Amino acid sequence: MTDARPRPSLSRAGLAAIGLLGALVAALLIGSPAGLQLANPDRSAVSQFRSAIAGIPADATVLVAFDPDIGTYPEIRFAVRSVLDDLMAHGAGLAIISYTPEGRALALAELERLRGGGAPASRLLDLGFRTGAEAGLVISVGSVVPASASGALADLLRARGGGLHAFDLALIIAGGDLGPRSWIEQIGTRVPGLPLVAVAPTSLRPELEPYLATGQLAALLGTLRDDTGYASSLESPAADRPPGSLAILVGMLAALSVLLQAGSRGIRARLRRAVGGRERW
Amino acid sequence: MNDLFAADAAGTAGTWVAALLTVVVFGRLLGERRVFALAQYLLAGLATGYLMVLSVREVLVPRLLDPLVNDAGGRPALWLAVPLVVAMAGAGYLPRRLAGVPVAMLIGGIAAFALGGAVVGTVLPQLAAGIVAPTGATAILNGLIALLISGLVLVSFLHGAPRRRLGVGAAAVGRWLLIGGLGAWLGYLLVSRLALMVDRIGFLLFDWIGIGR
Repeated sequence: MTDARPRPSLSRAGLAAIGLLGALVAALLIGSPAGLQLANPDRSAVSQFRSAIAGIPADATVLVAFDPDIGTYPEIRFAVRSVLDDLMAHGAGLAIISYTPEGRALALAELERLRGGGAPASRLLDLGFRTGAEAGLVISVGSVVPASASGALADLLRARGGGLHAFDLALIIAGGDLGPRSWIEQIGTRVPGLPLVAVAPTSLRPELEPYLATGQLAALLGTLRDDTGYASSLESPAADRPPGSLAILVGMLAALSVLLQAGSRGIRARLRRAVGGRERW
Repeated sequence: MNDLFAADAAGTAGTWVAALLTVVVFGRLLGERRVFALAQYLLAGLATGYLMVLSVREVLVPRLLDPLVNDAGGRPALWLAVPLVVAMAGAGYLPRRLAGVPVAMLIGGIAAFALGGAVVGTVLPQLAAGIVAPTGATAILNGLIALLISGLVLVSFLHGAPRRRLGVGAAAVGRWLLIGGLGAWLGYLLVSRLALMVDRIGFLLFDWIGIGR
């Protein structure tokens, strides 16, 4: 006996998903055609960020608070690697710390990448994972270098007091629960001399814009277009795959078509109700 | 290349596992549920295991056990943490009042830090920044529009209070403005999710299949 029941066919949503996947694959294979530029032509955010980095001393120590979210990290990864490479090119020593478990996992991967890429051990320090969310941040003001940390950078930070006052700049890689807002609220008020700059996914931009306007945040890369603009402004771009501009365009058009379809369906339903109501009347 | 996997055998195995799981997750779009559920269980299990390893390796051992073992009298306050950790770990077996002590301390501490920080770091500086002397017609217009939108949205939150016709209309406008704001924020979120999807497809094409390598 064979099963006579018909096999469930693909729904319209499933077909649409296959179509979108196919279109994105094609867009990625085609690449970024000339004339289609993802980088933001308005370079004010990029200039602000670059001048914040240019303003640090030659042998600066930079604290990298690495707390992105796995779901949004692909959006900012290109910019994060570009900023880290830019800081290394400026001769800065990077001390990487995480206050969220997700951030710690991604920080370890990036530390391995930096070490594998030949970053000198004397300018790279793993400060590990700190618990306690906001409380952990506040504790870091007085002490951020663990007892087990060793090396030239750890010694330098201990000589400068071992807390957040020992740094010339704090770079916040945002996306997780503990982002630039927490840094501004907890650290900005306790260590006002420490400039805070951030790389954040687009969804956080509305929340961070007011802090940028008041100067509580010295610079922000908060959109995919600014991220790409920053990377393209560097002399040697990061060794990472830049986001495909055509693929992003295709995805945006697909989202717009879904929006228009839903909108027109709503309008049609309202019209139908209105016409039906008039006939009943 | 996303460079999250090294070029050795372990990296190759990692790339294959990640690629196959990505295909499984994309399979959900086509209606495949059983294998997708396995991927979900795997994610939950791995996340729990990772948190366990992280808390033992990077918190309990280096910050609690090592200092107590190496210098038992050096930091007496750490001894207070031992019963709290034990109460937290055995919360399911202890009376609620006892197990609730570390949780209450945790929540109270976080709330106190968050509230204090929000007032000193956000509310006061943003209020101060909002009170600016008018510098031009555009600035005044922008300020008035911001004030109007904020007022209307706040009116839409007044539930239960008796309102006249004007108040009801203002609340309706405020609600639509709120929905508009949420829509704009969802648009921002869409960019993040779209970048994630493009990145995953790029991973399959370039890192796994090896196109253009």
